[in-house]
Amino acid sequence: MEILWIIILAGYAICVAQSVFALTTKRPVMQRASLIALGAALGAHTVWLVIKGIRANRCPLVGTEEMSAFLSWSLVVFYLVASRWYRAAALKAFVFPIVLALATIAAISPGSQGTPPLANQPLQGALLPIHVGLILLAYASFFITFGAGLMYIIQERELKHKRFSTIFYRLPSLDTCDEIGSRSMAVGFVLLTVGILAGLLFTHTRYGVYWQGGPLEIFSVATWVVYLLLIQTRMSARWGGRAGALASIVSFLIVVCSLVGVRYLGHA
Amino acid sequence: MNIVLVGISHKTAPLEMRERLAFSELCLRDALGKLVDQDALEEALIVSTCNRVELLASAPGGADRGLDRLMEFLCGFHGLEPGTLNGHLYRHSDSDAIKHVFRVASSLDSMVVGESQILGQVKEAYQAAVEAGTVGRVLSQLMNRALYVAKRIRTETGVAQNPVSVSSVAVELAQKIFSDLSDKTVLLVGAGETGELAARCLIEAGTSKLLVTNRTAERAGEIANKFGGAAVSFEAFYDVLSLSDIVLCSTGAADYVISPAETRRALKSRKRGPLLFIDISVPRNIDPSIADIENTFLFDIDDLQSIVQSNLSERVREANAAEAIVEAEVHQFVKQLRSLDIGPAIAEVKELLSQMAASEFKRNRKRLGGLTAEQETAIRDVLIPALVNKLSHPVILHLRNAAREREPSELIDELRKMLRID
Repeated sequence: MEILWIIILAGYAICVAQSVFALTTKRPVMQRASLIALGAALGAHTVWLVIKGIRANRCPLVGTEEMSAFLSWSLVVFYLVASRWYRAAALKAFVFPIVLALATIAAISPGSQGTPPLANQPLQGALLPIHVGLILLAYASFFITFGAGLMYIIQERELKHKRFSTIFYRLPSLDTCDEIGSRSMAVGFVLLTVGILAGLLFTHTRYGVYWQGGPLEIFSVATWVVYLLLIQTRMSARWGGRAGALASIVSFLIVVCSLVGVRYLGHA
Repeated sequence: MNIVLVGISHKTAPLEMRERLAFSELCLRDALGKLVDQDALEEALIVSTCNRVELLASAPGGADRGLDRLMEFLCGFHGLEPGTLNGHLYRHSDSDAIKHVFRVASSLDSMVVGESQILGQVKEAYQAAVEAGTVGRVLSQLMNRALYVAKRIRTETGVAQNPVSVSSVAVELAQKIFSDLSDKTVLLVGAGETGELAARCLIEAGTSKLLVTNRTAERAGEIANKFGGAAVSFEAFYDVLSLSDIVLCSTGAADYVISPAETRRALKSRKRGPLLFIDISVPRNIDPSIADIENTFLFDIDDLQSIVQSNLSERVREANAAEAIVEAEVHQFVKQLRSLDIGPAIAEVKELLSQMAASEFKRNRKRLGGLTAEQETAIRDVLIPALVNKLSHPVILHLRNAAREREPSELIDELRKMLRID
């Protein structure tokens, strides 16, 4: 398993280096090497998740190690989906540093023993990983929103200042940044909603009540409300593109900080 | 080898002289035919554009003679005294000629480095020569290589990348703000030439709707008809501001035609989306404080010019990288040509050895005793060719390797002497 982590981290590190460097130069550089590194890393990453799941006899979604690994994996997958739909190669430079950070956290975290499988109640057994998995996928989507928001801010600043550096030519159009941001936010919001519902259902089947008031529950719902507000304001068009992008970035940072805080405060 | 080239360009001769020496499409075929009729020239190609006239040929009889012939032809064809071209004409042979051809095709010798027209012009010249039957092995390889090098330089360097005219910069800015131009509306205010040009560029880039407004309604109608747009009365144009995504302003007015107040009003009634203002007029017609409004972008003529300038200097910088590529390609092509020259010689060697083997076999047939038809065929069609290949292989290898470094003709002479080919 150690070897897998070496491949994963090395591969993502190469992607980060290549994509960030590509922002500063006009000529295509090391694209094929980066593609191979990405393929190898993603492959190893998938293998790691599968092996972990098989060994523990459940979905690999428990504890910091597995959650970080799954989150970074989802982020890569979402990035690939986004890059198929939009011509925005620059997005890679904003997404992969996060991927690398998450993968590093996963690599250095101790494995968790995990909750025993809920073999007697198959519904319960399925609901928990669905709940956690969906919420993590939602977060991966919000990471993309964050990246797109950053790109928007940078590109808008270049246009306003009218002195164009190389990054101006590398970033996609404002419209594209905006579209990626709002699409990924919508996708994330839907995933988050269903994930929370699955969580409520799980709590009910396990404990008989829908709501227990634990820190993680409160925090998930708070996140949901924040993004609901964000979507409302974007749709009502009261804010221009820049304000929308800034709001996406700020709200996401708040959410991430809360997540970290909750994890260390109310260790579930 | 012996590739020769003479010519004049915008760098060495004024327009009148280039016009004098130009070859029209009609007389091109005739000129090419006459060129290869000259005793020192075998293949020929003529490139004639408004910025250069160049004659390219292969001269098996020697580079100097080839160059002289080309010069004589150029003067003679256009009825000029031989001395008149001194100082304007450049002459290149062999690797210099190859380098020049590569540079020209890659637009490194053009007035605006990185321009895209020259490649098409070179292709056309090549096509014309092919049709006239004056292109053989040497020139076809050279031209195909030149086209490949031009493509390489376009993709690997930034020489042709960023726009260097005000209109194309405007288009690029629009593309960096709006991802899809096809449903965007352009509003052209005023009837200036630059504005019209920019509008045309935007339409060619994909915008679908054009609104034109001007103080004189007829002029607005004229331009609208030319581009398939709609004319709007000058008094009403503030109303259509909210419908437009890109506003091109190029009137002759002495004061601001568009103010922040109108812009804010227009933004309010717009669906979400930025507004791009391009002010090409001097003095400026759009209040500069509009640039501070959220979701609005304003570029005046100075901004566009400075972008053009920085793009031009970028091209010059990229041109250095391109020159390096050209040097490397020239070097490689020269090596390739040298190794190719030995093709006929190799064929000769094999042929000779085969003949020798066959005749020896015939001579010694009796000594081999009775052979079935199968065995005879085996010896003639399997053993002898195999022997010939094996024997000639080291010779061929040596020829190929040695030909990379120096002229193969001396090697071939030696070989002939060795094998007694007279």
